[in-house]
Amino acid sequence: MKALLQQHKQYLLTGVSYVIPFIACGGILIALALAYTFQCHYVDANGGPDPTQAPVFVQDMLKIGGKAFELFPAVLAGFIAYGMAGKPGLVPGFVGGFIAAMPQTINGKTASAGFLGAIIIGLIAGHVTNLLKKMPVPKIFKPVMPIIIIPILSALPVGLIMLTLNTPIATIMVDMGHVLESLQNGSQIVLALVLGAMIAFDMGGPINKAAFFFGAAMIEQKNYAIMGACAAAICTPPLGLGLATVLSRKRWTEEQRESGLAALGMGLIGITEGAIPFAAGDPFRVIPCIMFGSMVASTIAMLGHVGDHAPHGGPIVLPVVDGRIMYIIAIVAGAFTTAVAINSVKKFTEKSSSVEGVKA
Amino acid sequence: MKIVAVTACPTGIAHTYMAAEQLEKTARKLGHTIKVETQGAMGIENKLTENEIKGAAVVILAVDIAIEEPERFDHIRKIKVPVQAAMKNPEAIFAQI
Repeated sequence: MKALLQQHKQYLLTGVSYVIPFIACGGILIALALAYTFQCHYVDANGGPDPTQAPVFVQDMLKIGGKAFELFPAVLAGFIAYGMAGKPGLVPGFVGGFIAAMPQTINGKTASAGFLGAIIIGLIAGHVTNLLKKMPVPKIFKPVMPIIIIPILSALPVGLIMLTLNTPIATIMVDMGHVLESLQNGSQIVLALVLGAMIAFDMGGPINKAAFFFGAAMIEQKNYAIMGACAAAICTPPLGLGLATVLSRKRWTEEQRESGLAALGMGLIGITEGAIPFAAGDPFRVIPCIMFGSMVASTIAMLGHVGDHAPHGGPIVLPVVDGRIMYIIAIVAGAFTTAVAINSVKKFTEKSSSVEGVKA
Repeated sequence: MKIVAVTACPTGIAHTYMAAEQLEKTARKLGHTIKVETQGAMGIENKLTENEIKGAAVVILAVDIAIEEPERFDHIRKIKVPVQAAMKNPEAIFAQI
């Protein structure tokens, strides 16, 4: 059972690895186009950005980004199935995912089965394809199996299943959106704390990716607050640890001070992995401190109504962030929390342990 | 001993390469020859040739996702571990050889 879950996690991560560049391209192009529209005061009656007044190039940018986003569920489902069944999985996966991307009207709101539908149908497509591959066939039919029989026999049932699931799953997505929107301060803080802790815990590993992907998927559903909270949490572990080496040089070895500078650079471009050299040598003191810092950052960002339109974190995404001041405050506060925490922890524990940072 | 390896993580920008580096470092320390192929966001880099795979005693797959061209390793002993394992405790992987 555990091995089976492990395997399915690997399938999902395969899909995620192929879809991340699509979300990045779509998210950033859309956000830049909207930011430009807004900055130049092309606004509609409600004060929102109105791209129809913007230059043609900006409108095109919005269209191109929108198309990259529309592909998101198809690519996700396609490569989940590819991870399970190889090349033959691509057809049912892409077709099923493309159906999941179809916009529908639910209770007057436009929504799609989106990433949730894509994950489910991708897994189904993989299993269906694997079953078909096992089908015993006479030698004479072997060549037509992969180019005619399997594509049709897999895409047809998978498509039918997705068409059936489409409205129920889209309804779940709409409800989920309602729940996220209706979260009051208390539960918002809980959500932000959990996201921050997950982001920092394994510094870019599977737990971090789960939180990150939740945020990225919510961008597609036009909820930018989740990614906003993640974005602030993503960069604080490397920034905080780098800051710690600068604030209290004598507590760190020459080598650590050097990786501290590298960590600052990585933090600025939103790569949590920059914290790993520190955590690998001293996990029991470093990981709690970076989790604490990231939780502070994500909570401030969430309460400050920070929204992030790009599936990436750190100061580098500032141009496409809503609530920039609060975003900066969240990052600075999180980084200082991490830095002060790790330096104090080192101060109080160093006397007893003289072997600092060598137990790699 | 001749060893080949493949590393691949979901995002493919950091862990993939850190794991590759750890495997190379540890192999050198233990006196093995190793070539590590990375399958990151840039696709396959430092690709293993057919001869290199044929000449190796074992392939280490430090991967969290399905890799590209897995059929290349159909006829060689495989040790499969999560990417994290290669980064945190590479010695333990080599102990399994």
